[in-house]
Amino acid sequence: MAKRRIIIALAGNANVGKSVIFNHLTGMHQHIGNWPGKTIEKADGTLHFKGYTIDIVDLPGIYSLSTFSIEELISREYIAIEKPDFVINVIDSSVLERNLFFTLQLIELETPLIVALNQMDMAKKKGIQIDHKKLEDVLGVPVVPTIAPNQVGIYELLDKVISLIEKGDSIPSPVKYGEEIEERIEKLSSLLEKLDIPYPARWIAIKLLERDEQIESRVRQIDSKVLSKVKELAQEIEGIHKHSCSTVITSERYEIAGCIAREVQEIVPPSKLPLRERLHTLTTHRVSGYLVMVLALLLVFLAIFTFGDYTSGLLNGVLYGLKPLFDSVFGVGIVATLVWGGILEGLIAGTTIALPYLLPFYLMQYILEDSGYLSRIAFLMDNLMHKMGLHGKAFIPVMLACGCNVPACLGCRIMETDRERLIATFVVTLVPCAATSVVILGLVGSFVGVQWALLLYIIDLVIIFLLGRIAFKALPGEPTGLIMEMHDYRIPHGKTVLKQTWFRLKEFIKMAFPLIVAGTFVIKLVDLLGWLQPITYMLSPVTVGWLGLPAVTGITLIFGVLRKELTLIMLATLLGTSDFATVPGFGPIQMFVFALVAMLYIPCISTIGALLRELGWRKAAVITVFEIAFAIVVGGVAYRLLLLVGI
Amino acid sequence: MVTLELPLSRLRDGESGVIISIDMASRRDANQHHRRRWGFRKRLEDMGLTPGTKVTVVKSAPFHGPKELQVRGSRLAIGRGMAERIMVRVESWPSEESS
Repeated sequence: MAKRRIIIALAGNANVGKSVIFNHLTGMHQHIGNWPGKTIEKADGTLHFKGYTIDIVDLPGIYSLSTFSIEELISREYIAIEKPDFVINVIDSSVLERNLFFTLQLIELETPLIVALNQMDMAKKKGIQIDHKKLEDVLGVPVVPTIAPNQVGIYELLDKVISLIEKGDSIPSPVKYGEEIEERIEKLSSLLEKLDIPYPARWIAIKLLERDEQIESRVRQIDSKVLSKVKELAQEIEGIHKHSCSTVITSERYEIAGCIAREVQEIVPPSKLPLRERLHTLTTHRVSGYLVMVLALLLVFLAIFTFGDYTSGLLNGVLYGLKPLFDSVFGVGIVATLVWGGILEGLIAGTTIALPYLLPFYLMQYILEDSGYLSRIAFLMDNLMHKMGLHGKAFIPVMLACGCNVPACLGCRIMETDRERLIATFVVTLVPCAATSVVILGLVGSFVGVQWALLLYIIDLVIIFLLGRIAFKALPGEPTGLIMEMHDYRIPHGKTVLKQTWFRLKEFIKMAFPLIVAGTFVIKLVDLLGWLQPITYMLSPVTVGWLGLPAVTGITLIFGVLRKELTLIMLATLLGTSDFATVPGFGPIQMFVFALVAMLYIPCISTIGALLRELGWRKAAVITVFEIAFAIVVGGVAYRLLLLVGI
Repeated sequence: MVTLELPLSRLRDGESGVIISIDMASRRDANQHHRRRWGFRKRLEDMGLTPGTKVTVVKSAPFHGPKELQVRGSRLAIGRGMAERIMVRVESWPSEESS
């Protein structure tokens, strides 16, 4: 019988094994969604332990609690405002100092706290011995050593949390800074105690001295006089230390973390260079690094798309094979046609994309990420990605987009800030996917010439670089370069990777399928109502007048929204031949323009679904509308240029 | 032995230095907003690159790519643009540094 329901939050740096602990704790009882109003992933799950029903919330992996990224903001607001009953701070014992820097900030948030000293085995391999009892004493926070993949310490961790909750009062006492800072923090927090802000007064005082924008504006709304006091005190500190106050506080915090780390750990570096170090050297080397990368990525690409094509074909065959059965049961009346063509075909389209491509994609992405290889690729590719207004981390999604935009869009969440994520997602939707390549190669490649098909790819590449740069310059917010930790190589935890894949896939299906089905339904309905002809007519000023294409292409471009290769398939159907060279009025120039427009004009409906999930409807709509307009403009210009130059 | 002050980006592989400051007033950044600089510096500091910290450049990616740093017992990768604005103090023998 459930005695009580409690909430425990997991917090910690990226790649400390937090998700492995989360998966051990929650098993299959987890849910992946978004934080309310944000497009940051939120994972939570439930377990039963000693009569308690425990909700576990996995906070994003972060390095600090400032306002640099949305993840940091979400985490601190969650801890301070939602007030979970307990916070488990998972730390990587092989990089103790950096991890303790974050622990100190959690202590400042005055939340009930316990430390899971994770990856003790990794630390041992690096020759690091940690006295966890001593760490407990120095920090004033209970510490439980754990090795998550082997489930070592997980039970003890939970057990300890429950006994601490039953005992009550587990709020650690605050970290002390240097006297000259401490004095001013106290002065400030006494002024702040009366204010109605859901954060601890001492924490607000520290954040104000650090010039935290979000806290500043909140305080300004209530009592703007405090801020002039903050300025005065901060200047005093700056006068003493000759650095900005925020720098001084961050430095001190790191000093404290460093002192603690040195006090509790003993390092005897292993005499032989371990394998993971040699692997690191090999994979980041200026020559072998790129060789390994090309090989690895080819392999990943091949794995995803061989599996994808095969399964997709198989699923297509099986699912469309049901059509005769469907017809024999429901007949071929208008309702049956609408159900099949509008709903079931949408489901089939979704299934043949989601399962065959997303499944291996997620799997590969988690393996690359968890093993640590992703950060090495980002290291090698940073410079190139800067040319399109992005940085190294965006390379993987952009590369994968050549196969399918959908997983690529979802993969853009590895970018840190909203701004970077938006630019990356935008760039990704411009990359020609496999279906677009079918159109380019099948039409222009076969009927106009390979060099013209190549030209299309080059045009696209130029557009990507140009629009990426423009988005980089035009978007508000802070441009950021690459700064990331390259954690040690390790073998990904299989079960966690599988579970993450499964739950992300489920989430995508829930989010994107309704849209895919609705889109298919509308187009089918329009078709059945006999509106395609009038729409073709309505579109003709654009298709015929501006782009110089035959009128029928209007319909094909509409169907292309469902899947891009449909533009070509529909064209063949409507023209009554797949030998496009024989069609009057559809010469090389028209083929080129048609492929160009099909390449650029709209992300397919599944991609729009992914955009919607990642960016929210407003930005998804802006990107979609922009790309349609852009494609039409570029197509028209290309048409006129080609008329002059000739093919 | 001389003490030099130079941007982290100019350290060669294997060289170490102590961070003096994170320079926000670089030419390229001159007409950008103050707020941006605050966030930028905060980010670097949060990752452990605070004044007084010793950093070692382990290697640099080719084509002016990022640098791999050893700092506070962990390994960081930092883009060229960011490395340009971190001023470090290096002690070196005069013969080694001719520029």
